[in-house]
Amino acid sequence: MTKADDNTNQRSVPLVTRRTLLKGAVSGAVLATSSGFFAGRAYADGQFMDLDSLRAANIDWRQAEGASITVGVIPAGYFQNLETVLPDFKELTGIDVRFEMTPPGQIRQKAVLDLSSKTGTWATHAADPMYYDLYVTNDWVDPLDGYLGDAKLTDNDWFQYEDILAGWRGATSVGGSPFGIPFDGEATIQVYRKDVFDKLGLKPAETFDEFTSNAAAAHDPDNRLWGTALRGFRGAGQNMYIYPSIFRSFGGEWFDNTGKMVVNGPEAIAALNWYVNLLNNYAPPGVENWNWPDIADAFGQGTVASYIDAHGSAAVITNPEKSKVIGKIGFARWPKGPSGKRVSSIWNWSFPINGALSQKDKVATWLFIQWAASKETQVATTYAFPGAYKRTGANRTSVWEIGEYRATLEAAGDNYIAAATTSFAEDTDVEWRPRLPQWPAVGDTMATAIQAALVGQSTVTDALNEAQKKIEAILKG
Amino acid sequence: MARSASKAAAARRNGFLIAAASLLLLIWVFPLIWAVIVSLKSESEVLAYPPRVIFEPTFQNYSDALFGGVSILPSLVTSLIVSTSTTILTIIIAVPAAYAFARLRLRGKKWLGFYTLATQMVPPVGLVIPYFLILNKIGWLDTFQGMVTVYLTFSLPFAIWLLVSYMEDIPREMEEAAFLDKANRFQTLWHIILPQVRGGIAVTVIFIFLNAWNEFLFAVQLGGNTVRPVTVAMFNFVSVEQTLWAKLSAAALVAMLPMIIIGIAAQKQIVKGLTVGAVKGGGRL
Repeated sequence: MTKADDNTNQRSVPLVTRRTLLKGAVSGAVLATSSGFFAGRAYADGQFMDLDSLRAANIDWRQAEGASITVGVIPAGYFQNLETVLPDFKELTGIDVRFEMTPPGQIRQKAVLDLSSKTGTWATHAADPMYYDLYVTNDWVDPLDGYLGDAKLTDNDWFQYEDILAGWRGATSVGGSPFGIPFDGEATIQVYRKDVFDKLGLKPAETFDEFTSNAAAAHDPDNRLWGTALRGFRGAGQNMYIYPSIFRSFGGEWFDNTGKMVVNGPEAIAALNWYVNLLNNYAPPGVENWNWPDIADAFGQGTVASYIDAHGSAAVITNPEKSKVIGKIGFARWPKGPSGKRVSSIWNWSFPINGALSQKDKVATWLFIQWAASKETQVATTYAFPGAYKRTGANRTSVWEIGEYRATLEAAGDNYIAAATTSFAEDTDVEWRPRLPQWPAVGDTMATAIQAALVGQSTVTDALNEAQKKIEAILKG
Repeated sequence: MARSASKAAAARRNGFLIAAASLLLLIWVFPLIWAVIVSLKSESEVLAYPPRVIFEPTFQNYSDALFGGVSILPSLVTSLIVSTSTTILTIIIAVPAAYAFARLRLRGKKWLGFYTLATQMVPPVGLVIPYFLILNKIGWLDTFQGMVTVYLTFSLPFAIWLLVSYMEDIPREMEEAAFLDKANRFQTLWHIILPQVRGGIAVTVIFIFLNAWNEFLFAVQLGGNTVRPVTVAMFNFVSVEQTLWAKLSAAALVAMLPMIIIGIAAQKQIVKGLTVGAVKGGGRL
């Protein structure tokens, strides 16, 4: 996949006393000891979590003691929080874990390079769910059934794999078998300016038509307020983040009865037409170059009335350092498409096990993954994290039900938790994007077609026909 | 009368040229000025519309970039080590090689020259995988010697070809005079050729250092936690949550400093190096 695929993933609401995002993660350790944040809590011997609660798992955490593994992650607050609490993992297991921060545009290339050449450089890495077909087709990563089912390695009564959000589990499984364990993720939701909507007597959209009419009503470019914005930038993770949801909401299917991929059917044409018309009529000029941070920045500056994107973009629009619209934000589920479906992305960062590792390192890696995805670590890196930055993309239903977690999220704005949790439960669609080993090339081809239609280089029908031809060639080759 | 009229015309022309040059310069330098301004603003001011001309400048971004939680300082040191080693090794190897190409009668010289240049024709991205595999095989992934070796494969052909052209410009008679005085090849190179190609070497040094300093593709794929140059570390400010424009600008400007210092220090030599062919009418001897 390409440079631009930083995409899809962002999250983290800046709650409490947010200083800078990045500083927050690092200052965490300091705050933990100095601010008295943990006052009243007694941890047996962990600095950030109760290790006794982890030791309650009926497995030998020290079975790979002395191992040392490297984990590829992207620079993001949620991984920085995880890095901060790593000493507790060392304390628990005796395993050394080193994080390697790699820019989002390059982490996929580097992972593929590492996996395909069987160098075993990264024991595990923050994996894009769309890459699992490629990984599995080539046998680069281990199926995790064996790890989950082995009583020596996993105590599922304690770990509770099924507690992890079902859509994300589906997205990291191939043929029904899990190949990655989700760590952090997001839902795609509607975000709108409550004050503007209230003034105009608008309600968050229930349907696509309403979304368009809301945008039209709020659209007032003379006063620097545009009706809406969606990702327009070309890329498998940019405009091909938002378009698949629209396409599926229009009732589109990526594959026909014979298993052939079809991207130029009537639903596709209707979906792309809706997207092109909406943005050309009601989005700020230059939206074809906008990725989600640009949308969130514009919304934060008060120049966009509504958008649809990841729930984690709340991090930017509720950041007091940047945003002018704090307290004026409302959230709602993705509106219903003409097919009656609401389609959220299933985006998440997950951890697979590199098949090229030694047996001992595989065990060490599994213990790390199990620890990172466990409820204890999810809690320690979300609301209980002693830094300013709190993760908002917890991977477990049970964490989303904890009052303290919900309390930290409430501050983001009206209906935030309900919009996110309902989306997780009802709107996630595992077939959101076409799951194929050739996804990187297919995604880029579609991205080019969508942008060509948006900027008027080509008509919607021509752009999709062209994409269909190219995709057929890619899938043949 | 006629004289003063032509003087006035010349002054007008001059004035026009200066205005045109200033305008071009302004356009060219604008992004840099913008970066400086952004680096002195707070993150919220960066996005303000209309952009504020008057604001309270802050050096907080610089202190965050250098000493904050995700300091680029260690990466600056890494970049300095990699770029300096690459430059020194390149010059040590390229000077005698260029001399050989320029002066010695070698069998297959033409082919050898073409071969040297051919390595420059491969798009770098095509070499990432082979280099990754080779470095992995010999255990040099994420090591200084690995990164410098990879950079040498790009800098050497470039440096050799650049230096050859400078060396060919030196009259053979100067060397012949030295030979008559019983100087050997090495002495000739050292005492006669090198002082003449100082400008060329300065230009080469700048280019090699600049390329190594700004390299990103190989740095991110072949480096890691040990070798993490500043171009990669800069991404700490472009996290998936948001781009911290002010800190990013501050980091970028700090990363530019060594280049600016070297540029100023070598300016006299560079100008000499760039014009050395021109004064001779452009042709090679």
